[in-house]
Amino acid sequence: MSGQQGKWKEEQVLVICPGSQTTLAQLGCSELTLPSHRLPTRMFKDPDTDDYLPYHTYKRKKATAAANGGGDAAKPEDDDEFEYVEDRDSSEGAIYPIQRGRIANMPAFLAFLDHVHQLLTTSYHNTPIVLMASPQWTRGDNEIIARFVFEKTKTPALCLMHSAFAAQYGLKWLNLTVVDIGYEKMDVSCIWDSNLVAHKSLDYFTPGLEAGGNVLTKRLHELLKDKGFTLDMCEQLKRSPLAEVLPYVATAKNCMELPEEEFPAEALAVEAPKMNEPTIAAPSTAVDADGLDDKIADEGVLDVANIVTSGNTREFLAKKEKEKAERAKAKHRKAQEAEAAANRPARLPNAKRKTNTFHYEETVHEDVQVPLSNGAPKIEPVAPSATNGDAASVAEPAPKVEGDAAAAPVPPAAPAVPAPTGETTADVLPFAPEATGSVTERRTKRIRRDIEVGLERFLFVEREYIDQVARLIYTTIQSIPELNKRPDCWNNIVFVGNGSRVRGLKENVLQTMMSRYLISPSTATMFTSELPSNMATPTGTGSQTPTGSTSGSLPLGQLPLPTTSSVNPLLQAATTASLGVPGAATADAHGSHQSHAQTPTSIKMAQLPNYLQDWSKAGYEEAHFLGALVAGRLVYCMHPGNDLNDAQRLSSLSRVDYK
Amino acid sequence: MAQPLTTASVPTDIYGGDEVSALVLDAGYCQTRAGFAGEDVPKSVLPSFYGSIKDTNAASGSRNVFGEDYIFARPDFEVKNYMSRTESIVEDWDTAVQMWESMLLDRLQPERRQTQPSKNGLNDGADGEGDVSMEDAATSAENAENAEKPLAESPLLMTEAPWNQGKAREKAIEIAMENWGCPAFWLSRTPVCAAFAAGKASALVVDVGGANTSVTAVHDGMILKRSIQKSHVGGLWLSSQIRSMFDSCDPKIEIRPSYMIESKVPVDAGAPSQAILRQLNHDLHPSYRAYEDERLLTEYKESVVEVWRGPGRYSNPGNEDLVKTQPGRIFEMPDGSNQMWREQRYRVSEGMWDETAQLPTASEEERITKAQTIPELIRACLNAVDVDLRPNLLGNIVVTGGTSLLNGFNDRLNNELMAMYPGMRVKLHAAGLTTERRFGSWIGGSILASLGTFHQMWISKKEYDENGAGIVEKRCK
Repeated sequence: MSGQQGKWKEEQVLVICPGSQTTLAQLGCSELTLPSHRLPTRMFKDPDTDDYLPYHTYKRKKATAAANGGGDAAKPEDDDEFEYVEDRDSSEGAIYPIQRGRIANMPAFLAFLDHVHQLLTTSYHNTPIVLMASPQWTRGDNEIIARFVFEKTKTPALCLMHSAFAAQYGLKWLNLTVVDIGYEKMDVSCIWDSNLVAHKSLDYFTPGLEAGGNVLTKRLHELLKDKGFTLDMCEQLKRSPLAEVLPYVATAKNCMELPEEEFPAEALAVEAPKMNEPTIAAPSTAVDADGLDDKIADEGVLDVANIVTSGNTREFLAKKEKEKAERAKAKHRKAQEAEAAANRPARLPNAKRKTNTFHYEETVHEDVQVPLSNGAPKIEPVAPSATNGDAASVAEPAPKVEGDAAAAPVPPAAPAVPAPTGETTADVLPFAPEATGSVTERRTKRIRRDIEVGLERFLFVEREYIDQVARLIYTTIQSIPELNKRPDCWNNIVFVGNGSRVRGLKENVLQTMMSRYLISPSTATMFTSELPSNMATPTGTGSQTPTGSTSGSLPLGQLPLPTTSSVNPLLQAATTASLGVPGAATADAHGSHQSHAQTPTSIKMAQLPNYLQDWSKAGYEEAHFLGALVAGRLVYCMHPGNDLNDAQRLSSLSRVDYK
Repeated sequence: MAQPLTTASVPTDIYGGDEVSALVLDAGYCQTRAGFAGEDVPKSVLPSFYGSIKDTNAASGSRNVFGEDYIFARPDFEVKNYMSRTESIVEDWDTAVQMWESMLLDRLQPERRQTQPSKNGLNDGADGEGDVSMEDAATSAENAENAEKPLAESPLLMTEAPWNQGKAREKAIEIAMENWGCPAFWLSRTPVCAAFAAGKASALVVDVGGANTSVTAVHDGMILKRSIQKSHVGGLWLSSQIRSMFDSCDPKIEIRPSYMIESKVPVDAGAPSQAILRQLNHDLHPSYRAYEDERLLTEYKESVVEVWRGPGRYSNPGNEDLVKTQPGRIFEMPDGSNQMWREQRYRVSEGMWDETAQLPTASEEERITKAQTIPELIRACLNAVDVDLRPNLLGNIVVTGGTSLLNGFNDRLNNELMAMYPGMRVKLHAAGLTTERRFGSWIGGSILASLGTFHQMWISKKEYDENGAGIVEKRCK
């Protein structure tokens, strides 16, 4: 059977990376693109049967636009009174099958997998799947998934991939410490020579210990709820460049230096967030095309690429907005100092400003009665698919034939996040291509509000949170049983998962670890009076010395000293050390014995690849998806000569093997 | 009757085991290890130390949390251990059951707990650390009734210290059968497992663990009861030696574990630390401090301590002078202070071999006698077995246990044995992989439980129902 392998085309490989909030999926792995689909990882219980539906569905009275909420894709039902309505944006009654990394609701998860599979694949029998598995999935879980995939779908082969390895494939380092900060969980996995040597996590299995990005949102909400912030606003604020973790300063209170008041007229700004009266982005003005995207992301894990790409958007918009706001202010405010206050800090970077203006974008759905002519619905379904890949993906297959047809052949390269110049199109995304007469149409409006945010935007990441992250990384790496593997893991730390996107978080964690755990080689001995005089010629009796003990003499860098050299070894040791040759590295190079030494003598982030432009721009927080793409190619599509090597064959389970 | 395996019948392919996912549980004083049979490392390794948090809501006034992640500086928190330090057997059965359930169920197969969603911790989000899934004893008993036998599909193999007593053994099978509904059960002695892990059915097993060191002769998969020797010369004893050494240093070296440090500054060797300490606004229980100290000492042991390799004792004239000429090792404390260690790092471990070299101990119980040193343990063990078996045992010495990973340990042991038994063939078998040494007995259990032939050995539920708990004494010799 294994002959089968290597026959799949790259376009046919389905890659799925499930997360507890957002699932990344894509058909085809020929280009190492950003994920083409981001779906909220959730299902809904069918009100009538026990099945799971991908969208919130409810009944409502037909035609008379009665009920609350809005509807799209209305399906006429047997009795004329009611119709079923799918609400794509609602998360009411949603079941999130993955909780803190673990599959808490297996039937829902399988239904979700099936949904993704149907949504993306066109043909069934020749679409092998790469499915990323979290470390929290147990043996039993994986067995059930494999059984489901092979028995319920026509998938020819399945590759379940540990998420840490997926990240490793994306970043191509042999030794790596993957710190995966997700929505409500955090994993630290140490990979040494492509083997998992240590893993610790705060997740489903550690109830009571919270971790992940959601903690921060909750904390922000706690700080700001008095000022009228909703959770949703906090989520947006957290993702905006405004929310930031200030650099680590060991001496300061809470280890950060908050910006001081820069100008006296601050009083105005402090007096609680002013909601400048909402500038309603009326249907004619700017609503960027990632509207839908945002909506999905709002529920989801910190969406990602969005932030980065739309970072530009926002800056751009922010500028415009500022101008507008200032004009308005000029009229409104009598006090001139207020103007000055608003203007001056604008030149300072965010971290130096006590307050900053946060542009909150809200999407408002309203149901509007639209009298429709017959022609209209034909055009409308096309609109979303043309503007936005995601809209197309969300477009539901069943009722609208044309709409779906347009949606299906989304090229895999279609950017998940629309062009950054957001000022395009579609403020109204209509989804009701039905019937004549009046129809309830959903309009989505985006409302932008400017809100002043104070120091809360720095305070929401507490010391305990950073400590927790740093401690978990430290204990995980130190729990690697072989001492010689630890330095490599310390030198290749990478943060993935969208929970690590918060500005400054990585840097702060790194600084914290540096100042707390780093063993500084130079301090150890060099020029102190501690050194006994007999140290200069240690090698005379070297024959007696067991190798282990010498190679362990770490920080001195003694080992490479030439015995006959006339150079004062102390001097040489000092110079080599100051040249930045860490003792650990020299000892390791000899490798004759485990180097017995303390770690870490250096802490570094792994270098991220720079040959993938899209990814470099979007950040490597979703490197595991990239890795899954790479893996898809390696596992299913490479042709390593005639003899398929075992490693490749064994890397996935094919249907034949399954039986 | 249990038919022990001969060496020849141990299949080479240990992973081709059966399909039933048997579980293996290996509890020691320092760590408890659990995982699936047939795998090469335990999936779940937790410290046997657990946290007890004051909780006025709970019936007993506290609730327990298991796992290293929970053990951090927090208020109203005490670190305890459910095992007995002197014996390495279970002391607190209620907690033991909780701990094992948390490993075998919550961590290894949480789907088995899904039957009662109210208890699986998913719905506790609101009250944070409220009722975490590690219930207190009361609920776990009730749980066991509700969750119609959570382990009903998994045979269980447990290991026990060779000196384990009948009552404790019966208790173990009772828990497995009554509480968890295991279909089959087996209790295996740690030395036997360690020998299997090394691929031997007959061996002299030297197990240098955290709390204890034991030397046991295993013959054809059975321990020779009279040969069992044990002493407290282990990792913790070594830690106490290090403490004693730190105390006697001038100036006295203070142990300040990393939780106390906010950030450190590089200082010269021997200079006092200039670290910024962390401000904790709550008190800590001394047991937590002790646990953290131990963690630090473990790092010290890993990176500094070494065993004098011999030949001869370290205290023989000349040796110390020789060592003084060697480059030492530097150890940096979490607070940044650091120092070069040269001869001291040999001296702390010398007590394991030579009772006269041990450093003064805090309490009299810590003190070891000549009979408790490792060479004497081996001698006593060999003296207790048949003369004919001795050559074979000496040729098959299995060294296992985490403390045996000390640099130079095997060389010294070899030298000591050569000196003690001149003319005999002495051969040490020590796994090269660190994990294999640390989890030796678990791995042996994993191999054993995955063997097809082992199926005939299990005590089945039916047998247990017919004979009662006493069957374990009859079967698991």
